[in-house]
Amino acid sequence: MGRATYTIRRLLQGLPVMLGVITITFFLTEAMPGDPVSIMLGPNPSLTQAAAIRAKYGLDEPVYIRFGKYIWNLLQGDMGRSLYYQVPVTEKIMERLPVTLLLVGASFVFGAVTAVPLGVISAKRRNKPVDHISRVVALIGISTPSFWIGLMLIIVFAFHSQDVSWIPEFPATGLVLPWADPATIDGASSRYDVIARSMEHLALPTLSLGTLRMAAFTRIERSSMLEVLNQEYVKLARAYGVSEGKILRKHAFRNAQLPLITIMGLQLTASLGGAVLTETVFEINGMGRLIITAVNNQDYYLVMGTTLMFGVVFVVGVIVVDLLYAYIDPRVSFEGGD
Amino acid sequence: MATATESDVDEGIEGEEQPEARVGWRYTLSQLRKDPTAMAGAAIIGVFFVVAFIAFIDTTVLGLFNQEYWLAETFWVNPVQDPATTRILRPPLGLTNDLHPNDPGTWSHPLGTDHRGRDILARLFYGTKIAMQVGIVATGIGTIAGVIVGAIAGYYGGWIDDTLMRAVEVLYAIPFLVLVIAFMVAFGRNLTFAMIGVGIRTIPVFARLIRSEVLSVREEDYIEAARAAGVTDWKLIQRHIIPNSFAPVLVQATLQIGINILVIAGLSFLGFGAQPPTASWGQMLSVSRGYMLPAPWFSVWPGMAILLAVVGFNLLGDGLRDALDPRIQNR
Amino acid sequence: MSEDETLLEVENLKTQFFTEEGTVRAVDGISFDVKEGEIVGLVGESGAGKSVATSSIMRLVEEPGEVVGGTVTFKGEKLIDFDEGPDGEMRPSDEMLSNSQMRKRIRGREIAIIFQDPMEALNPVFKVGSQIREFIEINRGFDEEEARELAVDMLREVGIPEPEDRYHSYPHQFSGGMRQRVLIAMALACEPSLIIADEPTTALDVTVEAQILELVDDLREKYDTAFIWVTHDMAVIAEICDRVNVMYLGEIIEEAEVDDLFHDTKHPYTRALLESIPRPDQTTEELNPIVGVMPEAINPPPGCRFHTRCPEAREVCPEVEPEFQDVSEADESEHFVHCVKYEDVGYEYAEPLETQATEAFGGGLIETDEEERGEADD
Repeated sequence: MGRATYTIRRLLQGLPVMLGVITITFFLTEAMPGDPVSIMLGPNPSLTQAAAIRAKYGLDEPVYIRFGKYIWNLLQGDMGRSLYYQVPVTEKIMERLPVTLLLVGASFVFGAVTAVPLGVISAKRRNKPVDHISRVVALIGISTPSFWIGLMLIIVFAFHSQDVSWIPEFPATGLVLPWADPATIDGASSRYDVIARSMEHLALPTLSLGTLRMAAFTRIERSSMLEVLNQEYVKLARAYGVSEGKILRKHAFRNAQLPLITIMGLQLTASLGGAVLTETVFEINGMGRLIITAVNNQDYYLVMGTTLMFGVVFVVGVIVVDLLYAYIDPRVSFEGGD
Repeated sequence: MATATESDVDEGIEGEEQPEARVGWRYTLSQLRKDPTAMAGAAIIGVFFVVAFIAFIDTTVLGLFNQEYWLAETFWVNPVQDPATTRILRPPLGLTNDLHPNDPGTWSHPLGTDHRGRDILARLFYGTKIAMQVGIVATGIGTIAGVIVGAIAGYYGGWIDDTLMRAVEVLYAIPFLVLVIAFMVAFGRNLTFAMIGVGIRTIPVFARLIRSEVLSVREEDYIEAARAAGVTDWKLIQRHIIPNSFAPVLVQATLQIGINILVIAGLSFLGFGAQPPTASWGQMLSVSRGYMLPAPWFSVWPGMAILLAVVGFNLLGDGLRDALDPRIQNR
Repeated sequence: MSEDETLLEVENLKTQFFTEEGTVRAVDGISFDVKEGEIVGLVGESGAGKSVATSSIMRLVEEPGEVVGGTVTFKGEKLIDFDEGPDGEMRPSDEMLSNSQMRKRIRGREIAIIFQDPMEALNPVFKVGSQIREFIEINRGFDEEEARELAVDMLREVGIPEPEDRYHSYPHQFSGGMRQRVLIAMALACEPSLIIADEPTTALDVTVEAQILELVDDLREKYDTAFIWVTHDMAVIAEICDRVNVMYLGEIIEEAEVDDLFHDTKHPYTRALLESIPRPDQTTEELNPIVGVMPEAINPPPGCRFHTRCPEAREVCPEVEPEFQDVSEADESEHFVHCVKYEDVGYEYAEPLETQATEAFGGGLIETDEEERGEADD
């Protein structure tokens, strides 16, 4: 069969879930109070304007027709129009999506890059001081609210660094995309500058969102490594004279990553939620902030569009994770079912 | 002198020296007691429980008699009512801040005061009730509903399983916060709907958990034996399947309370939880954001409260997991 | 026949596990040798300490276990050597090979090991061929291409069809018997002088087991490799071993050539083991299981460890620690036993002891209920 077919099949399997997501969000937004017309046009709209709005968004028609219209439009790539921003929802989402993906991606990278070595060392030196420390750190990491970490980081690195010279200063708000045009960023004269600024702005939010990732990943990596190190094939390798270092790096390592990859899929939805909080704290204009604004303004279509997008990101993310898993573990075949 | 009898054969030749049984409530509790971190977790939770309970009495119960805060006012001068404005944003014990540079904190407000001059420690105290309440109720809803859904799906399989699990997955595909926020905007922006929303979003966790447990238990021989003996489905689920899948549910429920406390804190932070002037940790953090520069310590304490509470549940949950897992004998 | 060289000499090997419940004396002073080209059996019930013994020889015992005494000499070099220090404590001596020497020179190169569960013993994420190749590279110093060729050859040698293709297969694509062949190929490819086979056929069904045994016999003829064959199955011992060591609760209680063990059994435990093998013509009432369960090695019974289940136990048995001594006749090959019967302590005159075996079943082995009641007081 092959990987291409597997991917397509998984994508198709994701469709019912997407449909479910659409249905739920549609009916939730139906239940939302407030008249979209008066929000948009103010307390005393003219009759013609009001009628035009009603017709344009199909607000007068029965539920199932609205739903049907929405799906039809969706298939054409049209998610409606944001009442608040007065631009197509799709446009607004596409504007914000890369930002959130960058943030979430960076937090995952941070989490994985720190957790893997920590987990491995922890497993190798089980019950020694290093292990205990990393377990405590991991425990605190998964128990701390990410937005609070964000606040603390801002206080230390953005505010108090101004008084205390040996604390480096990082910006407290906003994100710069590394691929942005240097002309749009003040103080930046080259691609290099832009990337540097981007890293600066990413530092605190990534730390804030990534701590929980790191903690969760470390725990998994540690327990997974411990389990793998107890396996017969590791003992066999040792019996054949393979050095401890090589056993860790080669024989044990790959097997130990499997549960971690599975967890990554589950962590995806958690970090999308966390992104909402982090973007609020750091005033980052990503999808998280978008949905809050939309909700606070009863921006009907924007809410649905954003929620839908979160769902899509999640489904695609899970598929990517599954592919990664199948790539590493030869026991998972590309034939057969789930 | 004894001779071989039938009962010997029944008990097995090895009837005499059986190793000590390693399952059951008694054993689990004794294992737990030996685990210092689990006990620490239980202690922390215990303290929070007591605090929440007192706060509950002081607000809800006494509230029935229009005597809210009677306990607080009698034993702890003016903690939550609006006092003089010179007392706003006071720093914690022994420290100063930009607003009160020459006026360090005192014992009357050991953690400082908030932007309305209310004692922070006192507000944390009352916030505990909210956190515990939401944590437990929401987790309870999610556990019970999730277990039922997952047990049915796992036991019957087939299209029932497929539909139920698809529905569960849909719930899961939407990030926690997003779903609950949307839910609350639709139905009501208060604590009750927050609890229900979080509860609903907790269902997938338990549904999946129970389902996989049921799937593995279902294949066991003793289930087939029971079915062959004529035990009905419902009784089977009740008597055999659920008790055997119980352990991981208990562990997850404990951990989930911690997770849900984090969620409700996040919700409150964004303005979707308890509404002011009710004190809740997340909401306090949201307010403190506006005063990060002049009064940074204001932001520290509510976060620490959340951290401590969640650590407690995590420690206990981890300890339970270790105690209930028959494989792990020497940690 | 030429004098075969002694390859491996184990003397008084002791391994203990330090657990919360106490110190488990898993291997409590065993001694045996293996000569070149010999297949030596190590047989005993589960929990007797066989696997621990083999791990100890390779110095692969993991926490909380530790080798605490004894000497193991392999081709003249000391794999394990303990000196008694001034305070009476046993300490590893300087003559002992260092860890890295063990790793580079002994493990895989001189002594190879085959584990019991072939599914677990092969790394699931790597191709089978490359796993063999890696070990060849490490232990025989070949380069990648040569090693690969040798790996394919060995796969063919152990009877795996289409070895060039199968080289690229993953473990889960093989059946149980095939996997075990792979493990054998792995061991042989490194051309060790000694292979320790730890219950290699236990997880396989009988027909496959027979094939494997035949294969091993052929290979032994061809390569003259010595084997330590660990098992709990007396039938396998009978088929394949030259000499046999019977282990009980951390001790070797009988050692003899295979024919002598079966026809001239000296130790009551060995006899009980032999009698307990079900035969096709026996019915359930006629079965003769060994009474009781092996006690835990934390607190072994005093004196002779088997006395609690021994049908021939007498009152002296708990009192005396028997010595491991040669009880063969002058012209016979050596036959060692660890039993009070052969000690000079008045066993013949002592009263029989009430044990699990004697209590329930009288002085001898089970016949039927009626006969028991009559013999209650023997």
